[in-house]
Amino acid sequence: MSKISSTQIRDNVKEVLKFSNETKKRNFLETVELQVGLKNYDPQRDKRFSGTLKLPQCPRPNLSICIFGDAFDVDRAKSVGVDAMSVDDLKKLNKNKKLIKKLAKKYSAFVASEVLIKQVPRLLGPQLSKAGKFPTPVSHNEDLYAKVTDVKSTIRFQLKKVLCLAVAVGNIEMDEDTLVNQILMSVNFLVSLLKKNWQNVGSLVIKSTMGPPFRLY
Amino acid sequence: MVRQSRAAILPTNVILLQNLVKRDPLSYREEFLQQYSHYESLRDIFMLKALEAQTTGDTNTKQFVELVGFVSQVCSCYPEETANFPNELKQLILDYHRSLPFEVREKIVSSLTMLRNKGVISAETLIQTMFPLLVAYSSQSNSLGHNSHAKEIRKLVYSTIISLLKSCNIGSKNQKLNKSTQAICFNLLDQPDSQGVWAARLTRELWRRGIWDDSRAVEIMTQAALNDDVKIAYSGALFFLGADKEREENFEEKSDDEDVDMEGLKHKMQINKKSGKRGKKLEAALKSVKKKSAAPKTPQGYLNFSAIHLLRDPQGFADKLFSKQLSSKNNNKFNLDQKIALMQLLSRLIGTHKLTVLGIYSYFLKYLTPKQRDVTKILAAAAQSSHDMVPPETIADLVRKIADEFVSDGVASEVAAAGLNTIREICSRAPLAIDETLLQDLTEYKGSKAKGVSMAAKGLVALYREVAPDMLKRKDRGKVASMELQESAREGRVSKRPQFGVENTTQGIAGIELLAQWKKKQQDADGQDVDENDDQNWEVEEEDNEEEDIEGEWVTVESDKEYDVDMSDSDDEKEKPKEEEEKIDPETAFRDLASSRVLTPADFAKLQELKTEQGVARLMGVRNEETVDSDRLVGPLKHRKATKDERIASIMEGREGREKFASRKSKRDEQRSTTNREKERKKNFVMMIHKRSVKGKQKMSLRDRQKVLRQHITKQKKKGH
Repeated sequence: MSKISSTQIRDNVKEVLKFSNETKKRNFLETVELQVGLKNYDPQRDKRFSGTLKLPQCPRPNLSICIFGDAFDVDRAKSVGVDAMSVDDLKKLNKNKKLIKKLAKKYSAFVASEVLIKQVPRLLGPQLSKAGKFPTPVSHNEDLYAKVTDVKSTIRFQLKKVLCLAVAVGNIEMDEDTLVNQILMSVNFLVSLLKKNWQNVGSLVIKSTMGPPFRLY
Repeated sequence: MVRQSRAAILPTNVILLQNLVKRDPLSYREEFLQQYSHYESLRDIFMLKALEAQTTGDTNTKQFVELVGFVSQVCSCYPEETANFPNELKQLILDYHRSLPFEVREKIVSSLTMLRNKGVISAETLIQTMFPLLVAYSSQSNSLGHNSHAKEIRKLVYSTIISLLKSCNIGSKNQKLNKSTQAICFNLLDQPDSQGVWAARLTRELWRRGIWDDSRAVEIMTQAALNDDVKIAYSGALFFLGADKEREENFEEKSDDEDVDMEGLKHKMQINKKSGKRGKKLEAALKSVKKKSAAPKTPQGYLNFSAIHLLRDPQGFADKLFSKQLSSKNNNKFNLDQKIALMQLLSRLIGTHKLTVLGIYSYFLKYLTPKQRDVTKILAAAAQSSHDMVPPETIADLVRKIADEFVSDGVASEVAAAGLNTIREICSRAPLAIDETLLQDLTEYKGSKAKGVSMAAKGLVALYREVAPDMLKRKDRGKVASMELQESAREGRVSKRPQFGVENTTQGIAGIELLAQWKKKQQDADGQDVDENDDQNWEVEEEDNEEEDIEGEWVTVESDKEYDVDMSDSDDEKEKPKEEEEKIDPETAFRDLASSRVLTPADFAKLQELKTEQGVARLMGVRNEETVDSDRLVGPLKHRKATKDERIASIMEGREGREKFASRKSKRDEQRSTTNREKERKKNFVMMIHKRSVKGKQKMSLRDRQKVLRQHITKQKKKGH
């Protein structure tokens, strides 16, 4: 396949949505993910890219987020309705590996107040960054709610040791247009990250959590 | 007649018998059994003597060696009769190796290898026999006496193991054998006496040859690096620091010498007599060449990861390494070189995997003084170990200390340059590690008279122009950065200083707004949108692909690409997007453009072009496994002290064209004997002094003397003197 067009994508998205919403509806919100296979890329030699992209709509609205905050931020978090932990709570973990691991497992992302974030490595040790969940900083004059949705709708492309990666780009409750938009955005972004742009792309596949895969490229 | 005599000598001539047995096992069964019983009796003698600690006679030894060789050669012909033979050999060498003569030990080892090659015993059994021997003959437990030939045996056993593993892993990897061998290695490392050296050495060798390249092998080396024994720990650290380079070099060498000279072969075929054999040879060579060119150099999916990348639990390893080897009291047992190797390993681990080992930064502080031996290596390690996930205060201490110790007016210029370069390396990894005042102090050195120092300071300035220009003094910021700053101030945006916890990743497509602008203008001029479906726009890719197939490697064809694009839409007049025209915000541009259509390769090429026009192309992202070269930290030096190799090279250069200093006699062109005249001249003076011809000269009258002198002078004149 040498090229890809938005009509093609639209057709495939239709198929995905049709399968998940009509053919076999599941009892949970299925996520639509974009799977990428790269080629002509040597993760040992070439630099490993990593990029973050904020999508217009949150692909996984059910993500759980925890906030490490000072008194002010803890209060704000309560008003927004997000879990929050203060410094004392963190100190109570006492650098206990198991507890910290549990904490890291419980939430899918963390946000920390600017004043606190520098202490995070000391308080919690390496466990968080090991899990790839190091908190994002938030300052007092930022809107906490906006920040939380920001974090939720940000997707991350990071090449590890293997030549394939997958990201969640949407869910099946989105309408076709938004889904196509999201996919286009992430594909374009991903391709811009690659050294040789389209020449590095081996395959592009979209699939919903339980549905069959559809190949775009 | 002939047959009879042959039968007569058979009992003594084992070699002949071996030949015959191999040809016709059934008919020579009797003879074999006779020899076998002889072997058995001799073996019993050896075992008995070994128990009584007596030496066996020379003839016995010789016979025994011969018989062992014979039986192991032919035992595949009589599997039933010799079922027990391998086990006996094994038992003999394992239990009695101390008292057996050297020749017998050697023979048994090689016979066992042969049995493995014939498939009589499994590779596992051989490995299990060899390892105890390796341990028994290692230098530490060498209480074996002088005549034990420990070194030879060790060498033999070691090479046997290596070649065995090599032969078992040709083609596909023999996972079972590898696993069992690795298990033995793990056990060796667990033992208290320092036998683990062998595990480390073996693993390193196999890694170098690319026979072991999995994470289990790496795990062995982590165990080695964490070992209590100094030697083992050091070898473990060196493995992680250097083994991958070794492996690469090894493969490079290999790929060089495998080439077949096709041209030569073809030429030979034309000139020499054509024969079927030669033709076949040529065909075979052709096939192998084709195969080689068809197969990609590294097969797809096979990735050569360095040992550090294959670690299972880098954080745990780094923690243990620091607490066990470096920080505790233990660290007194290491000498400085070993400590530096450990520091380098630890810092590389931390830098590569972005680990948090907060203790190491304060540990470095102790060593960071200009007087410290090998301080550049320690500086390099300090720079490697810093990354953006470490709390900035921790590294700031380090930077402060380096600035205080190395960068001041009182120190030599090389020292200051090394300090500044190190600070730059640290700050390129962790930009927050330095505060504004210190940075501005340090950038003052850019006016230094010493070249190295000013270069280093300029490097620091250049770094911060990119990372956080507002931390620099106004005059240092440079045009691009200060324009950007002004712009953002005008628009009321907060300047984007790097922030802790925000990983520096790419966000959005750089320069997309330029592309959007360009597209818009195209649309205005053309009246139609350039469609993504247009085949032309995907063509760029294909052309590039072809080129790639030929070259087989990445080629940057940036200029070509641009040219292609120009061709495809050549009819439009090209204007550069003007600054005054309505500016499009990058974010909205991205949303509009990227979410509505697929960006084609042509688009990306255009984007690249526009970016270079605008000069916004910047270095982004990080390299993979960054190492800091300690030699580079010092910077360029005017009068560097030469190393020994360089000194010797310069001496040799001076000697070029000069004859070697030695007697000329030996270097005469023509070999001949000396002439009588030469002999006369060389003859010892004391022997000549009483000769009449000499004494007579003194007794000559004045007139005669004058005559002789005159003659001499005319003679010399004739000669031209």
